[in-house]
Amino acid sequence: MLRYAIFLTSIGAAFAGTNSFETAQDFLKRNCEKCHHEKAAAGGFKLNLVSTKTSLQTDGEKWKSLALRVKNGEMPPRGGAVPTLDDREQFSQWVESAVRAEACSAGIGAGPSPIRRLNRDEYSATLRDLLDMHLDIGHALPVDGAGGEGFDNAAETLFLSPLHSEKYMEAAKFATDFAAKEYKSHGMIFEKKDHPPQLVLKRFLTRAFRRPVTDAEVAPYLTLFQAAQKQGEPVQPSILFALRAALVSPMFLYRFEPANESKEPRLLDQYALASRLSYFLWGSMPDEFLFDIAAAGKLQDPEVLQQIIPRMMKNDRSLGFTQRFAEQWLRTRELSTDKVPDAKLFPTYAASEDLRSDIRLQPVLFLREIFLQNLSLLNLIDSTHTIATKQLATLFDEKLPLNPNAASQPQWVELPKGSRRGGLLGMPAVLTVSSYPYRTSPVLRGAWILESMLGTPPPPPPPNVPALEETNPGSTKMTVRERLAQHRQNPNCAGCHSRIDPMGFALENYDAIGRWRDQDEGKPVDNSGELLDGTEFNGPAELKQVLLDRKDLFVRNLASKMLGYALGRGLTLKDGCAIDSIVAQVKSKDYKAQALLEAIVLSVPFRYQAGLKQ
Amino acid sequence: MNINLDKARISRRTLLKGAGVGLGLPWLESMAASPVTSASPNRLAVLYMPNGVNVTAWTPEGTGRDFKLSPTLAPLEDLKDRITVVSNLWNANSKGGDGHYVKEAAILTCSTIKKTPGADLANAISMDQVCAQKVALQTPLASLELGVTPVAIGVDAVVGYTRVYGSHIAWSNASTPLAREINPRSVYERLFRAANVGKGNQSKQDTLLLDRVLGDAKRLRAQVNSADKLRIDEYMSVMRSLEERVTRSSSGAQQSWKPKVALALKDAPTDRPTDHAEHVRLMMDMIAVAFQSDTTRVATFMFGNAVSNVSFRFLEGVTAGHHDVSHHQKEADKLRQYQLINRWHIEQYAYLLRKLAAMKEGETNVLDSSMVLFASALSDGNSHNPHKLPLVLAGRGGGRIDSGQHLVFGEDTPVANLYMGMLEAFGAPVERFADSTGVLPGLLRG
Repeated sequence: MLRYAIFLTSIGAAFAGTNSFETAQDFLKRNCEKCHHEKAAAGGFKLNLVSTKTSLQTDGEKWKSLALRVKNGEMPPRGGAVPTLDDREQFSQWVESAVRAEACSAGIGAGPSPIRRLNRDEYSATLRDLLDMHLDIGHALPVDGAGGEGFDNAAETLFLSPLHSEKYMEAAKFATDFAAKEYKSHGMIFEKKDHPPQLVLKRFLTRAFRRPVTDAEVAPYLTLFQAAQKQGEPVQPSILFALRAALVSPMFLYRFEPANESKEPRLLDQYALASRLSYFLWGSMPDEFLFDIAAAGKLQDPEVLQQIIPRMMKNDRSLGFTQRFAEQWLRTRELSTDKVPDAKLFPTYAASEDLRSDIRLQPVLFLREIFLQNLSLLNLIDSTHTIATKQLATLFDEKLPLNPNAASQPQWVELPKGSRRGGLLGMPAVLTVSSYPYRTSPVLRGAWILESMLGTPPPPPPPNVPALEETNPGSTKMTVRERLAQHRQNPNCAGCHSRIDPMGFALENYDAIGRWRDQDEGKPVDNSGELLDGTEFNGPAELKQVLLDRKDLFVRNLASKMLGYALGRGLTLKDGCAIDSIVAQVKSKDYKAQALLEAIVLSVPFRYQAGLKQ
Repeated sequence: MNINLDKARISRRTLLKGAGVGLGLPWLESMAASPVTSASPNRLAVLYMPNGVNVTAWTPEGTGRDFKLSPTLAPLEDLKDRITVVSNLWNANSKGGDGHYVKEAAILTCSTIKKTPGADLANAISMDQVCAQKVALQTPLASLELGVTPVAIGVDAVVGYTRVYGSHIAWSNASTPLAREINPRSVYERLFRAANVGKGNQSKQDTLLLDRVLGDAKRLRAQVNSADKLRIDEYMSVMRSLEERVTRSSSGAQQSWKPKVALALKDAPTDRPTDHAEHVRLMMDMIAVAFQSDTTRVATFMFGNAVSNVSFRFLEGVTAGHHDVSHHQKEADKLRQYQLINRWHIEQYAYLLRKLAAMKEGETNVLDSSMVLFASALSDGNSHNPHKLPLVLAGRGGGRIDSGQHLVFGEDTPVANLYMGMLEAFGAPVERFADSTGVLPGLLRG
């Protein structure tokens, strides 16, 4: 419901707009019927698909996608009469809440549980834990793309190429050769000297496949072992050969959950839940402790789960989770690929690998610390503490109480009064990733806040954006603010830019690598912004207050992102109801960070598996 | 807090040594009955440039054989009789949707991609893969997919497409983009491994192993729902083709593939190029090495992902990133910079062409036996227009391409017609490719 709160502030009393099924139908008739009627269904879409109230439930996805097209201005196409932005947004907002209400009327659903390949990071971490092998063994695998809620663990986009298969073969050979030589890894496979090959294989396969295996499943691996023996290989190399196959088997490379053949949803299998937990909070396979609880059949006990979460977070492996989650949520991973500040303009950034690494790690470690200390998630908006190092303190130009003996190690520090560094928006990683390589951009930063923090991304710019020069020849001498002001005079641009730009302007005191500045090109920085509802603010401190006023929108977005990450798939309409409940729980616990993890782990989509009925 | 994030990285050399030359990837002739006798096989490469061109500086003056290269194409002057500039084609199926993903993912597929954050990725097979599948078993690698930047991260929430679309031009089928290698050293090592046959024992082991994992896949397949079956099918098809290669490599009945030029590990390039320019050059070198050694006959290369904003400040007179400059808003200064960036790409293309031309093969050379297409999926980056695509085809396709021309067509001519001609020249003719209406007239000889 709150999703469009910010956008909606512009709607006055003049227009009643879409507020019911009937008015929505009226909107569709007025704007869509010409091309999408019974006989001439443009794009294969007929209006009668969405003409009944029941269609809100049966064809929710259709409603949602048409609402997005309307909101983004793709439909109705330009050229004819086009409804106003307010009109379109009110329509799409009504559709979104109506569809969600319908989806939730039947209770919270479990959603799909697709099979997924281990992504590159999970693959490396799993081999690390399987063989006590501290090497980034998946480094040669291609980088995985992202899908779903924007993460590279989404089942949908984890496809497999011939390149993968070659790399898996090589890595499996490397890993087993490594285990033949290295004492610790060797011990992970050959636990006791007198274990017969069958037992060695069975124990290893159980761990590699992350579930108990039957003797029938072990048998073909035993055959492999015997084949190697026949070729004259000694016992251990023959076992290692069989294990090499296990490391290329889909049972190892993919996470899958035994299908639910019943009609109704059911609680997940214990081992499947153990894997969900460990791949969520560790990005790796379950450890012995989790296996044992699963084997005892106690993992579905909510009280047990509540105790396990903080324990898992305390483990160093949770760093992988916070890093992968934070860097993709905040998009700061781009700092290691294409977002590179210009070396000539920002020599400080270009010169120091240490500084770049500190910058990248700051939001990651900050988020992790919030979880470990179970602080309020609102610290992400503003905080009295941050993660800092000597290098960061210099960049901040602030005096920080760093531990003098380890000043170059990232550490949790209290910020001085009046500091400009509290919360994500004071972090160079965020400020850099939302800038151009050579200058700041209030548009990029404003859009970053709308998308990454509030979860309300602005619609895309219309095609064939008119040239700025048409309104303003000789524009090159104007400041960014002046040029954007010109831009907003064009009514085509104003609708969105009057929402995007103001928040970005409040951050103009930070340069393109996040350093504080009072002047820009000789002129004092103007950090004022005004929202459509008339809310005025100056500078980051007041902007953070504006965001704190919208904290529920922020928490809802964070919860959706994290649920998408935890499930490793795109969210469905039904998941929206689970998010409502997660947000309510977090709120009731003063926005405590672990309350979010708990609510996600205990949620229906996380612990249940859909039945055939859905 | 004291967290050490340094991962012990294994050097690539170690990994390679560990793996030995083990992957018994191999060397095959497609049909025992018809050994390829041609001294110079057909090859196809596509170089893809993101973000379109400054149209005013792109199109040559004049048509047919009598044409004058534009400022952007000027670096091809010495190769003028070996290139074909093709003007005015368009990609109708990439018209709608957003500014970039729809166009870039479709440049070689001529299909309309499905708008999705990932769940139901849908495109079509790309023309390079039609070629690759035709000659898959004649060389150690069916095709080579290269780039210089990793897959773009995330889902573009604004337009609702997964960025996977903007990071892949090669698609082996409608739902499977092909992963790219971006590390030049890894590419070389991969070529080396593929070209150097595993020992008999190794191949036998690999066969046993692959047979086993395919068995697991079959069992798994029986346990999952239909959507998941597709994933397992993907796994099985990839592993089966690996198995097929290994089996054939160890079977004495097959005539052996031999590298036309031997590869040596000591020649492997760095895995850490100092900058974008060096990185691109090394990838060009890898295409050349792959073609010269005949390790593969099909390659695609992406200079960048869709919406790439690589900084080109290393070029004199350029102050901004690639995508920013492409939205020039008709400002003279941005248009000037845009053209400089376009021209730099053409210089890299020319570098590859000269390199291939210098690789002698009997009476001919690698360039003359190849087709090397340079393409962008947009014309003017400011308006995201898939009309009048910037396209240059180099090489003579083993004598089939009538090079040395500027061919100009009507504006509704599908780019798929160009691909029809290229497929025919390659030896992989099809009756129709996507929205093609026939082979582009004037492209082929006789």
